[in-house]
Amino acid sequence: MKMEEMSLSGLDNSKLEAIAQEIYADLVEDSCLGFCFEVHRAVKCGYFFLDDTDPDSMKDFEIVDQPGLDIFGQVFNQWKSKECVCPNCSRSIAASRFAPHLEKCLGMGRNSSRIANRRIANSNNMNKSESDQEDNDDINDNDWSYGSEKKAKKRKSDKNPNSPRRSKSLKHKNGELSNSDPFKYSNSTGISYETLGPEELRSLLTTQCGVISEHTKKMCTRSLRCPQHTDEQRRTVRIYFLGSSAVLPEVESSLDNDSFDMTDSQALISRLQWDGSSDLSPSDSGSSKTSENQGWGLGTNNSESRKTKKKKSHLSLVGTASGLGSNKKKKPKPPAPPTPSIYDDIN
Amino acid sequence: MCKDYVYDKDIEQIAKEEQGEALKLQASTSSEVSPQQCSVPGLGERYPTWETTKPELELLGHNPRRRRIASSFTIGLRGLINLGNTCFMNCIVQALTHTPILRDFFLSDRHRCEMPSPELCLVCEMSSLFRELYSGNPSPHVPYKLLHLVWIHARHLAGYRQQDAHEFLIAALDVLHRHCKGDDVGKAANNPNHCNCIIDQIFTGGLQSDVTCQACHGVSTTIDPCWDISLDLPGSCTSFWPMSPGRESGVNGESHIPGITTLTDCLRRFTRPEHLGSSAKIKCGSCQSYQESTKQLTMNKLPVVACFHFKRFEHSAKQRRKITTYISFPLELDMTPFMASSKESRMNGQLQLPTNSGNNENKYSLFAVVNHQGTLESGHYTSFIRHHKDQWFKCDDAVITKASIKDVLDSEGYLLFYHKQVPEHESEKVKEMNTQAY
Repeated sequence: MKMEEMSLSGLDNSKLEAIAQEIYADLVEDSCLGFCFEVHRAVKCGYFFLDDTDPDSMKDFEIVDQPGLDIFGQVFNQWKSKECVCPNCSRSIAASRFAPHLEKCLGMGRNSSRIANRRIANSNNMNKSESDQEDNDDINDNDWSYGSEKKAKKRKSDKNPNSPRRSKSLKHKNGELSNSDPFKYSNSTGISYETLGPEELRSLLTTQCGVISEHTKKMCTRSLRCPQHTDEQRRTVRIYFLGSSAVLPEVESSLDNDSFDMTDSQALISRLQWDGSSDLSPSDSGSSKTSENQGWGLGTNNSESRKTKKKKSHLSLVGTASGLGSNKKKKPKPPAPPTPSIYDDIN
Repeated sequence: MCKDYVYDKDIEQIAKEEQGEALKLQASTSSEVSPQQCSVPGLGERYPTWETTKPELELLGHNPRRRRIASSFTIGLRGLINLGNTCFMNCIVQALTHTPILRDFFLSDRHRCEMPSPELCLVCEMSSLFRELYSGNPSPHVPYKLLHLVWIHARHLAGYRQQDAHEFLIAALDVLHRHCKGDDVGKAANNPNHCNCIIDQIFTGGLQSDVTCQACHGVSTTIDPCWDISLDLPGSCTSFWPMSPGRESGVNGESHIPGITTLTDCLRRFTRPEHLGSSAKIKCGSCQSYQESTKQLTMNKLPVVACFHFKRFEHSAKQRRKITTYISFPLELDMTPFMASSKESRMNGQLQLPTNSGNNENKYSLFAVVNHQGTLESGHYTSFIRHHKDQWFKCDDAVITKASIKDVLDSEGYLLFYHKQVPEHESEKVKEMNTQAY
């Protein structure tokens, strides 16, 4: 090129200028060319203006900066009416009350166990049909709705099966049952007979009612004299499981009667401490949720009472009695039966 | 002929394919490929810029409305309804959703759920949260699903009561980390040193603890992974840091007002050599005797996002209280003096580093501040979020308002979130990880 041929010393200013310009132009071109090609390509292929924000969007999304308004131009504190759907019970709950609702829904709060035990006591007390019991309880417990218990049942399987309360409850049960898998109890306090082996069934049927509920398809865990089922039913179940030679075991009389004797219970209440209820309610949310299980709620305690000393049998009475007490007070505000103070300590 | 440049689709296609082939060839022959040629995930792959195809062009032409994350736009900001004492959760959510790298990860839909049931996956829920918060919807979001999932997966947090935002942050990061790996109980899920999930890539740093035997000066070093740095405050009973006039600062350009403690002061105290008393003699590995020792904490590996937690809630035997001392913190922070590699120079008394140390790797920028107002028993959390450079917003549950930088820097500060100015490149990070003695 020209520059190679000439020596710089022999040049005058104008030539130097020209060379400098050329170098400058080369440099500018080098740095810009890449970018120019990009833009050219974008225009040619039609996407150059594509991602520019349109004026409508610019207005819609513009940040507002005025006192009393948030960045969207909205007034503060207008969100009281926001609602959401509880993933547990599928009810529509006010958003600002969702956390306390969820706590009760999952059976975690201090009150949940109280309500749960009231429910157990209620259902055991009145030998009405299950649907009536649901109505009575649910009217006053504003977190619950009638149809939701079925869905609520699913949640129990998420409960921590290793929670200390659950294992505690197993300890109190009959020897045979304490070895069984805690998961059998997780959905209700009835027993799922499919999972039991023949020996277990046999031993179970010597101590418990065992009649299979039509609703839950589970065996009744109450005593051999449980009033909800007849001897005929019990005999049928035993024949079904153990063959035609199966017999209904002989029943001890004295302790059982205590369990269902309502009149004596009230006198005992004030003197007794209840520490068995915590076994059931907080972690075993079955008792707090489904009214179908109310029949079973005290059943486990009854079987416990037969094996252990008389003192324990009285424990079941307290549950019953508190049900009695609370039956009269169907108010939104929870009544104060003797038991809640103990729950507070436990919780 | 018009002498204009033309772009022919078919030729371009051929060129792209050939380039891909060439790259693969190159990758297999050489171990190092220049960063420009390869991005994540594997060598030999190339992420071309997205170019529209004809049908896409038409579609975009018919629908002219656009949403972008840009300054002066509300896209990316959205309030969160308080579900009942859940302000602590809302603040952490705001901080996480405005963490730049995390935002990029989730908005580009990089999460592949490996959980047995996706509706229980917290990462999926996080993904959906990002979508909600960046939707431009002005009405506040109701994070009820998030609350439910957190209560299921972090049972110690379940319950309707006021809770600590820092505790929530650590629990949330833990669950996210577990769910990134499909919640399996394998080695990767439980060992943060080997996990490569996005949470660990961003938040995990390495805290080095050196115990020096006073007799033989042998040093025993351990490095523990950490997600945050909890700092003692002056005036606390448990850490014996009496209130004193502020020392020299200026390392990080903080306001140098006597009497005001700075973040740097707290960090300096955190990384000082501490003499363990005679009641805590340790058996020295090298001289095999029980000796008194000094312990020092420094940062071995800096995380991409550093979270600083001021220990304002004191639960000592005598009392439970909140320390409300104002701590001054900077917009930009240089962590170099607190690194393990800087210990030498610190022992020689040099703490000041030249401002142009040329080492940008340890420089951080503030992007979120969580504040607590009230007492230990009952209070309220709010947060300041940086949405764009120098644009800050105050997030008070459902209400988002514009805030000034002064508002942010004058606030009390409880949790501070900084992110690295220059995130390291993947391959460099891998090299670094392999050379560390974890």
